[in-house]
Amino acid sequence: MRSAGLARPVAIRWSPLVTALAFALPVVFVLAPLAIFLVYSFFSVDQGQIVYAPTLANYARFFTDPVFLPVFWRTIMLCLSVAAISILLAYPTAYFLTTLRGRWRYALLMLLMVPLLMSYVIKIYAIRSILGLNGFLNKALVGLGIIAEPSTLFVFNMNAILLTLTLLLIPFAILPIFLALERIPQVLLRASDDLGASSLQTFLRITLPLSLPGVASAASFVFVLAIGDFLTPQMVGGISGFTFGRILYSQFGTAFNWPFGAALSVALAMVVIAAILAGERFGRNRGASL
Amino acid sequence: MIVAPRLSTILLAAVTTLVAVLLYSPLFVPIVSSFFPVARGEVDWSSPTVSTYAALAGNHEILAALRTTLVVGLCTVVLAVVSGTLLALYYHGRGAGRSLLQFIVFLPFLMPPIISGLALLIFFREIGLERSLLTVVIGHTVFVLAIVYRTVLTRLQSMSRTLVEASYDLGATKWQTFWRVILPNLSSAMIGGAILAFALSFDETMITILVTGTQTTLPVRLWAMMRLGFSPDINALVALILMFTVLLCALAARFLIPRQVATQRS
Repeated sequence: MRSAGLARPVAIRWSPLVTALAFALPVVFVLAPLAIFLVYSFFSVDQGQIVYAPTLANYARFFTDPVFLPVFWRTIMLCLSVAAISILLAYPTAYFLTTLRGRWRYALLMLLMVPLLMSYVIKIYAIRSILGLNGFLNKALVGLGIIAEPSTLFVFNMNAILLTLTLLLIPFAILPIFLALERIPQVLLRASDDLGASSLQTFLRITLPLSLPGVASAASFVFVLAIGDFLTPQMVGGISGFTFGRILYSQFGTAFNWPFGAALSVALAMVVIAAILAGERFGRNRGASL
Repeated sequence: MIVAPRLSTILLAAVTTLVAVLLYSPLFVPIVSSFFPVARGEVDWSSPTVSTYAALAGNHEILAALRTTLVVGLCTVVLAVVSGTLLALYYHGRGAGRSLLQFIVFLPFLMPPIISGLALLIFFREIGLERSLLTVVIGHTVFVLAIVYRTVLTRLQSMSRTLVEASYDLGATKWQTFWRVILPNLSSAMIGGAILAFALSFDETMITILVTGTQTTLPVRLWAMMRLGFSPDINALVALILMFTVLLCALAARFLIPRQVATQRS
């Protein structure tokens, strides 16, 4: 209610005209395209022409064709793994940041965010040159004597997509976890210490539970960003790394089946909405404010 | 008692270092290769060169794409700042249906870019709008609008109401209050939002690929070139762009963060 203060004197009444103008841009360029997109998923294609007659064929094909559902599940599992690995790396990092004092804490945080500013396409390309059979990673592993000859384990397949997406998205996991950890009142930790808990007990029973909302937000961010990406799989996925985003994209290029692509997008949107809602539901910070 | 926390700190620092190395390795590759010849995963440290930077000046195709990106970015920023600020004022002024409006504004930012991009692609086709730079600007504006809107709204909500009340008490009209009190107070948030919007537009790839015509922006041009591999001057460009974006974001931080510092000084 505090925010109401400014409004009342300035804007006494909004005329319907102003309301219409305010809605014009978002409705025309956001809502209308999404609505048309949804409607398109019920159309079909005949000899390169879109048939404007309602049908459920696209959805039936998605659920019955042996190709799409397995790729769909595999992509979901892939993106869940990306989220899990990102969090495993981001949690200790964020925790370490909160143990630092004052200026160092934010300087290091900024340092870990800078890679986000680097061109996405260039990063994918650079990671590709790191992962390849003649890439820096193989050179380093062979050079260090860890493996005898270049490994194909991470050369342009699902593993390469997993690694690349994780590298690209870790900063999105660090930030929410850091914010959640930072919000935990120091008093609680000191009280726990005073009452004789070991630092491990304090971590497991106070810090960890209170930081879980941040972990949930991080997981939801990373998952949504990973599942919507079609550039990374295209670039480092090779032939075997076929993801849902790639199939979807191909419907608008080589396959030229826009209505089917629209139906696939609706399936993707469902998963994304579920992930965002889950992130919202578990990302609420309860009890951490004192 | 003393050894255990030290060990855990060392482990945490080790993981943090690993993460930093992982995050910076993809940045390292193009920057190193802009100064040293690289072939088959090996860097030739013996012959440093800046010839890549000279070659860049002669690469007209890439420079044209860079120019296009800047034009698209500027148009996007102007459109997004004007409409984002108006929408924030509308929301803050308790306009009708404001929650729904806010939800619509946030949609393209929450949805994966492939969905926003494809929806716009079909939309442009249905209304008979040829794919061109105009459609790219529309795509970018819709995408970055939420950022500008959110930044301006946050500032509006933290603005003290006494400022506006004082303005009315001193006999200012509604418009005078808006131009002389509200807008100047919003200006740093608008500039900060504009810089963030520009940075997002500058690197936007996925929506752009879907709605672009023949003339296109730098990330999409780079994407098209990637299949063939890059010439070394691209690495020089990437190093320059990284420097430029870091500066830009330092600037954005300056406009968005040190509010108290600024007010204390004046």
